[in-house]
Amino acid sequence: MVKEVAAAVAVDGGALPLGGGLLAVVPPAVALLEPGGVLAVLSSAPSVREDLPSWCRVERCGYLGHEEMPDGRDRHLIEKGPSSPARREAEPARGLPLREGRLLAADVLAAYPMPERASPQSGFAPRGASVEPGGPPYPFSLLERDHIAPPEVGSLYDQAVSAQWDATRDIPWDRVKRLPAALESAVGQIMTFLAENELSALYVPAKFLPRIHPAYAEVAMFLATQLADEARHIDVFLKRARIAGGSLGTSSVTTSRSLLSLLELEDFTEAAFLLSVLGEGTFLDLLRFVEEHAPDEATAELVRRARADESRHVHFGLAHVRHALAQDASLYGRLEAAVRRRAATLHGVGGVPAPLQDALTVLAARGTEARAVARGHEAFRTLLETMHEDRMRRLRHAGFTAEQAQVLSDLHTPNFM
Amino acid sequence: MSDHTIFIGAVAYDPKVVTIWEGIRDYFREAGVPVDFALFSNYERQVETLIEGRIDIAWNTPLAHVRVQKRTGGRSVSLAMRDTDCDFRAKIVVRRDAGIQSLRDIEGRTLAVGSRDSTQARILPLHFLRQEGVDLSRVSLLPFDTDLGKHGDTGTSELDVLAALHSGAAGAGAVGDLVWVNEQAAGRVDPSKVEVLWTTPGFDHCMFDALDTLPPEKADAFRRALFAMRWDDPRHRRILELEGLRQWVPPRDEGYRSLRAALDEQGLW
Repeated sequence: MVKEVAAAVAVDGGALPLGGGLLAVVPPAVALLEPGGVLAVLSSAPSVREDLPSWCRVERCGYLGHEEMPDGRDRHLIEKGPSSPARREAEPARGLPLREGRLLAADVLAAYPMPERASPQSGFAPRGASVEPGGPPYPFSLLERDHIAPPEVGSLYDQAVSAQWDATRDIPWDRVKRLPAALESAVGQIMTFLAENELSALYVPAKFLPRIHPAYAEVAMFLATQLADEARHIDVFLKRARIAGGSLGTSSVTTSRSLLSLLELEDFTEAAFLLSVLGEGTFLDLLRFVEEHAPDEATAELVRRARADESRHVHFGLAHVRHALAQDASLYGRLEAAVRRRAATLHGVGGVPAPLQDALTVLAARGTEARAVARGHEAFRTLLETMHEDRMRRLRHAGFTAEQAQVLSDLHTPNFM
Repeated sequence: MSDHTIFIGAVAYDPKVVTIWEGIRDYFREAGVPVDFALFSNYERQVETLIEGRIDIAWNTPLAHVRVQKRTGGRSVSLAMRDTDCDFRAKIVVRRDAGIQSLRDIEGRTLAVGSRDSTQARILPLHFLRQEGVDLSRVSLLPFDTDLGKHGDTGTSELDVLAALHSGAAGAGAVGDLVWVNEQAAGRVDPSKVEVLWTTPGFDHCMFDALDTLPPEKADAFRRALFAMRWDDPRHRRILELEGLRQWVPPRDEGYRSLRAALDEQGLW
């Protein structure tokens, strides 16, 4: 009677007893079956006649019996039951391409694309794994690809990983010399401001990371590189302030209010827009200014490296916002409203924080000699104009009209970030 | 307390029983069927309390189930069981070096058995061995009477049996198939020392019992909500996993015949 049943799959258990290895062979084979599918298990272990039926009962499979084959082995037949775990849907095998020996995340993403929507029930299962139904829902709230994952996220992640540098060794720290007091103090103030803002750039994206569904892991992975970048920037800015006997400067209320309004954002796209497109975008010009007027090679090198990292963050923020805007036209209004809300909470904070403005002026003047200070002040005014123009350009690039860009740029925080 | 509330008894054989029944109570409440539960320390007290009509339903071991049927003259109502309660079996497990090739070889040897109120590790294995012609008066029993009153629910005495086999204190032993399979799957059985010799015929296990005075609308509501639980639903899955089933199934009575015969024969009613 057993012979009548055609088995879809057969496994050879050799002389393995159930608890001595057979369980490494049989369950994976059963997992490949649809309910009702039949597995043949070949075995020369007599104890399997007793144990396999019991295993089937515990696992809700049907044991259909066994027959002795001409070579003396037993052929047991197992039928997968309706309430045994569902068949594992294996993901299609596509292989991955190498580019001159390099295996890129962008190519993995292209081969195994992100789903449009993700289920909170799949938890931390990596994209492509077969997920057993019945798992608990996870508290991920960013579940839609087009709201969080621009198509270029894979290549941005690849770039970010290969561009990591070492704040301990990659800066020519031995070239730093103690500066005249006013200039040393200006450098300390600028580094304090940069570190404070970069701390916010560390905390704000970190807040959204655990909300991202793991089906969009490349977004979380890119943010992880962004967090590592910010950590390194905080590290180098504070080192530069103190290396030659200088000390930290002042944290102003303007900066504090501005950064709190970023930290309190609850929408990922709004945060990407305000932090990366407007804030970090404006920071690119600030860092270029510091590099241009840097009093030594180490300072120039560290802000140059920080700017290269920040431009990646701006690129990701722009890609994110542009992609989201292309999918959802109502987002224009939401982003504009977010900028207006933030401007309203910062109403009355005045202009650029005075200690920073003074420090940038002294830096550009290379000291406090009166005529040099006049030049420094002019350089600072030019910086503000450059920041405005570049913000407009980025806003246009993100998809805003010239008029919208003008309004949004004017409303941007005097704290730069 | 509302008259509509179904009052269920269960035995607290493990701390997880609180989690299970609070989960079931919450699930039933959501399903519109108010239930509450009382936890007992042993099945004898639970059976008495059901017979006295002070609880509506008892979640019973097979031993408690057949005792309720006997005490009520067969008028008790069986409501539901787990899929895992059907076709339970016991295993006769032996040391490989004991030279036991057949059941009759157990005569003159030491047979480790579980608690005297464990259906799967003592009462039925002894019954089936006798049926197979083994002269039990010639077998030296090594009993592990742990957790009496829990009717073998804790599985402690079955683990004691396996430990006795591994240590050599017994040449043969009786355990339930669930413990035997799970201990092997967990890698806690040494296949070079211990192997299965024989599997008993099937028998059924736990049952929800009620008296025939339970209002039919309560019985129907209870069964309806219970049978609606789904393994694939994460809200139900945790409870089903803890209680050790994939689905609740309707009751059947033929699986308890061997237990009644064993209790007659062993004078254990």
